[in-house]
Amino acid sequence: MNFWLVRILSIGAAVGFAWFLSVATVDAPTLLGPRLVALAGMYVTLAVSLNLINGITGQFSIGHAGFFQVGAYTAGILSGLYFKEGMNPMMWVGLMSIAGAITAGIAGLLVGVPSLRLRGDYLAIVTLGFGEIIRIFVTTQQDPLINGATGINVKPQHNAVFLSILLAIACIAVCRNLLQNAHGLPFLAIREDEVASNAMGVNTTKYKVIAFVIGSAFAGAAGALFAHTESFILPDLFKMELSFLILTMVVLGGNGSITGSVVAALVLFYLPEVLRGGEGQATMAFSGPMIVGFFVGLIALVAGIRHSQQRHMSSQAAKFGFLAFTMGAAVLVGVVVSLLAKASPNLSAAKYDVNQLRMVIFSITLVVVMLVRPQGLLGHREFGWGLFTRKSATSEVQA
Amino acid sequence: MNKKLIGIASSLSLSVAMLAGCTGGAATNSTEPTNTGSNSTSTTSSTARPAVTAPPIEAKGDTIKIGLVASISGALKPWGDDSARGAKLAVDEFNAMNKLGGKRVELIVEDSGSDPKQGQSVTDRLIASGVIGIVGEVASGITAQIAESAFRSGVPVVAVGATKTTLTDVGNNIFRVCYTDALQGPVMARFAYEELGLRNMAVMTDNQQPYSQGLSASFSEKFKALGGKIVREEFYKSGDTQFTSQITNLKGLNPDGIFCSGYFTEVGIIAREVGQQGLKVKLLGGDGWDSSELQNSGEAILGGYFCNHYNSAEDRPEVAQFLTSWKKAYDGSTPGTTMGALGYDAAMLMCDALTRAEKLDTHALIKAIDETVGFKGVSGVIDLKGHNGNPPKRALVVELQKSGQVFAKAYEPEEN
Amino acid sequence: MTWLAALDVNGLPQQLTNGIVVGAIYALIALGYTMVYGVLKLINFAHGEVFMIGCFISLFVSWSLGYTSSSIPTATNPSALMWMILASMLVCGLVGVFLERFAYRPMRGQPRINSLITAIGISLFLQYGLSLVFPISPPRTITEQVNPYWQNSVSVTLRAAPQELVNDRAKVVAELKTAVDAQNARMKELGIDSTFRLPEEDKYLVTTVRNLEAKERELGADVNKSETRITVPTGKMIMLVATLALMLLLRWVVMGTAVGRQMRAVSHDFDSASLMGIDVNFVVSMTFFIGSALAGAGGMMAATFQGVALTAFVGLEYGVKAFVAAVLGGIGNIPGAVLGGLLIGMLESIATAFGQSAYQNIVTFFILILVLIVKPAGLLGSAKAEKV
Repeated sequence: MNFWLVRILSIGAAVGFAWFLSVATVDAPTLLGPRLVALAGMYVTLAVSLNLINGITGQFSIGHAGFFQVGAYTAGILSGLYFKEGMNPMMWVGLMSIAGAITAGIAGLLVGVPSLRLRGDYLAIVTLGFGEIIRIFVTTQQDPLINGATGINVKPQHNAVFLSILLAIACIAVCRNLLQNAHGLPFLAIREDEVASNAMGVNTTKYKVIAFVIGSAFAGAAGALFAHTESFILPDLFKMELSFLILTMVVLGGNGSITGSVVAALVLFYLPEVLRGGEGQATMAFSGPMIVGFFVGLIALVAGIRHSQQRHMSSQAAKFGFLAFTMGAAVLVGVVVSLLAKASPNLSAAKYDVNQLRMVIFSITLVVVMLVRPQGLLGHREFGWGLFTRKSATSEVQA
Repeated sequence: MNKKLIGIASSLSLSVAMLAGCTGGAATNSTEPTNTGSNSTSTTSSTARPAVTAPPIEAKGDTIKIGLVASISGALKPWGDDSARGAKLAVDEFNAMNKLGGKRVELIVEDSGSDPKQGQSVTDRLIASGVIGIVGEVASGITAQIAESAFRSGVPVVAVGATKTTLTDVGNNIFRVCYTDALQGPVMARFAYEELGLRNMAVMTDNQQPYSQGLSASFSEKFKALGGKIVREEFYKSGDTQFTSQITNLKGLNPDGIFCSGYFTEVGIIAREVGQQGLKVKLLGGDGWDSSELQNSGEAILGGYFCNHYNSAEDRPEVAQFLTSWKKAYDGSTPGTTMGALGYDAAMLMCDALTRAEKLDTHALIKAIDETVGFKGVSGVIDLKGHNGNPPKRALVVELQKSGQVFAKAYEPEEN
Repeated sequence: MTWLAALDVNGLPQQLTNGIVVGAIYALIALGYTMVYGVLKLINFAHGEVFMIGCFISLFVSWSLGYTSSSIPTATNPSALMWMILASMLVCGLVGVFLERFAYRPMRGQPRINSLITAIGISLFLQYGLSLVFPISPPRTITEQVNPYWQNSVSVTLRAAPQELVNDRAKVVAELKTAVDAQNARMKELGIDSTFRLPEEDKYLVTTVRNLEAKERELGADVNKSETRITVPTGKMIMLVATLALMLLLRWVVMGTAVGRQMRAVSHDFDSASLMGIDVNFVVSMTFFIGSALAGAGGMMAATFQGVALTAFVGLEYGVKAFVAAVLGGIGNIPGAVLGGLLIGMLESIATAFGQSAYQNIVTFFILILVLIVKPAGLLGSAKAEKV
């Protein structure tokens, strides 16, 4: 098909889809309401942009929340300074997200350039440190525009559904086009073998920095949207846990798979919301001993599965027997621990709702995925248009 | 070689930028804590509060839903628990009095987790479930967010223990039953200067809490106006566990007192550090010290003074009756902190306003609360009419001893 | 730059000493990070949580020995500290071994990023999981009295104050004591508990005390200004000595024992070591045990001598700082971890000495980034050339 026709049709379809969602969500039940859908779009953007840095270029950045925060506070500060009541909220928010992208992109540049010389582990600590520096720096600012730990109320409160979906689609498109293009090959080359690609003449410096800048710019744009949707931002929202959450999304979906990041982002974002039980209803309550027993049993189970995978079993029957034994042991351990826990007054009285368990569930997900299927749900695979033309539904992205 | 130079250059420029930012911050932080904007220390709130523009929400049916936001989990759990119990007690008593012709008040309790963001989301949830009034919270940071959400929907808020002065400026639907930092800070300053004869004070501020920042500012302003000197303001964050360097810093400056404007969780550890370093100073603070455990966190805190809302040893009939009802309802215990009484007052005031409101909807309720005069609360007489949401109340300075809080001096509200 | 003027040069030795005391704990935890990295090339993100577990174990042991906030045994139990540190070290060591066996060993053949992510997951799980299991709110601290020397301190005077000044002050202190006794006696006589309730004619007792207090303070200030002195509470002194002992013990284990030699071999080259017949699994477990035990000791000391308020999240702050310390000194390098820990501790104190207590943590990260740019392997680390 004609190159430009395809492009225009795709853009039109993207805009149309985003517009459709923004209208359809207005009167929908909370789970599909404007705020959650907008947030989902932002998390997808965050996951895919981190995937560009971690999965596609093979770097190890765990400070993504820092770029998110830069974008959010840029929007907050600029809105505090320049927003007037009469302006169109959507146009203003759109403008803010561009501003957020620019500042976050600059931040990405500042972080990326010094980190060139650092290997994976060191890069991780530098990016983590950067995220923390940003957060602490904001916390110490007394100026009422930034307001330190108190947080700022961002003025035009606007559920940015249209913009957020559009941003997510744009992010996915950029990353996908990079991958399918000759332009994207250097990134993949760096991921596969940095030394070799350097030897082959690929300017690893340039591409690593580009990856950082693009990834952080998208995160910053999402941050600006976040500031206006939530209308109240404070530094505590952008702690390390958020970086780890985004990392979980990327890892669960498969480091390097864009589809995987999208799916994982949606799943991990919507799961606690779904379990919240709807408007105003009581959240599901779990008792303390039950939880302790469950988790200990789960760890034992996973360890057992893992162990059985590695051991060389003489026959299928032996394997099966061992698995059954492991599961039995896991259940037993779980029951024993929960009985013990019943004895402790702290534990037996306590009831927890899903909110408190959210981080526990996430961390367990991370560990279990790593132990059982480290390549994530989709590995390096992508879903593409090939779904309709090719025999196999998925095509693996090979460097 | 190039990479190294670029790397060093960019990080140097980053560090210069940061140092410039640091000095900008330091210049305003080191000796003179001047806070502008939302940390202003006006004793009376600014003139006209923005009026609620949302349409009124009506209470439907025989049950009137009132929401309670309390810190049932998190660092402020002792306060949240007390305020929740106080509020529940008030609502139960009110329902028993049957002043609404058969209609009952239902108190819906939500946990803010001691976190402003969670406070905001549970407020939204409460409003969506049809409450026409909200009681809460005990901390200013959380109440600020409750106020923002509630203002958008026009639901009246009666804050329990939030003292930050500018909270009620958000809108004309925000009220409280306690005094403001604009009263508390100057009271402690006067107490320090006049009663204890202190002249050189240091201030320890929790940079994470708007309450602490505002209180330190109002204290320092009054203390300097009286002729005292603030030798230094040191900072920490909620959750910090080490204060050695800050206290060592203060030691060199030889203050005769330290004003710790933060919450009890950190104040206890700060006091310990002061004791360990052999610093002989008087420790002073605000109502953030109020806790049933503080007197057990070491020797150094004993003999310290702080400003509280009321004292359970007071001679008024409301206090005695409250304590009896509490004992009956909650297994013979007593409220650990003043938030029990304040929670009770806030909820009872809300219910009382329901009896005076023309209609059972948010607009009429706001009007009724605003016209409250002479409400005899456990924590004192509460007048809201003409006071922009901030009732003039007495402040009690108490001494912290091993046995608990011992009344030292009362200060009547004054308009500066 | 006003922050330069804020520096009190006289107090600098004290601040530096404070820094060393704090840095000792960071060093203990950093040792764990560095040892594990040395043998496995893995950053054990969960190490901070092991520290946290150490803190809680000491808390529980102190509770079981009777030192709760409301009741303190009258007879001081000098072995209380011994029990606490032994329990913490043992439990934490076992936790470390358990973690390695079930969470890290399965990841050994895989790309390093996967192990890192597993470590992050375990760390988060321990934090949030244990915060549910120990719902301690408000955060508890260990009772001061566990440390039998909690009221004493050790002082070193570098420059003494003039004797007359010291004598004057001693005189005033004695006078103050008599005045306070008189005031308290009168209050007891009248049966009142607050100085504010004294009748008018007795108020002079209060004014006398106040005046003497002011005078004592003034003289005390003069003494302070004219002397340079370093005071360390005895408890923290014990902590320093114990830390030093543990570090020397570690050095002996690593340098002087067979196991230590095996550890060094494995950290030098994992595959060759296993080919040479070393039981790498055992060596790795041993490394985790020792490293985690050290973190447990650090936890016990922070909880007891520094009075840290214990929540399930204390491991975060200490863990990150200790990790920065380990990287600063050169990760994988044992003396480097100690150096890094002490440096970080001193940096924090110096930052506060310059009046920038709000920026303590930023300074830490900042220095780290600067060092890594100039010397990517850390201060004492050796850059291993990557052979292709």
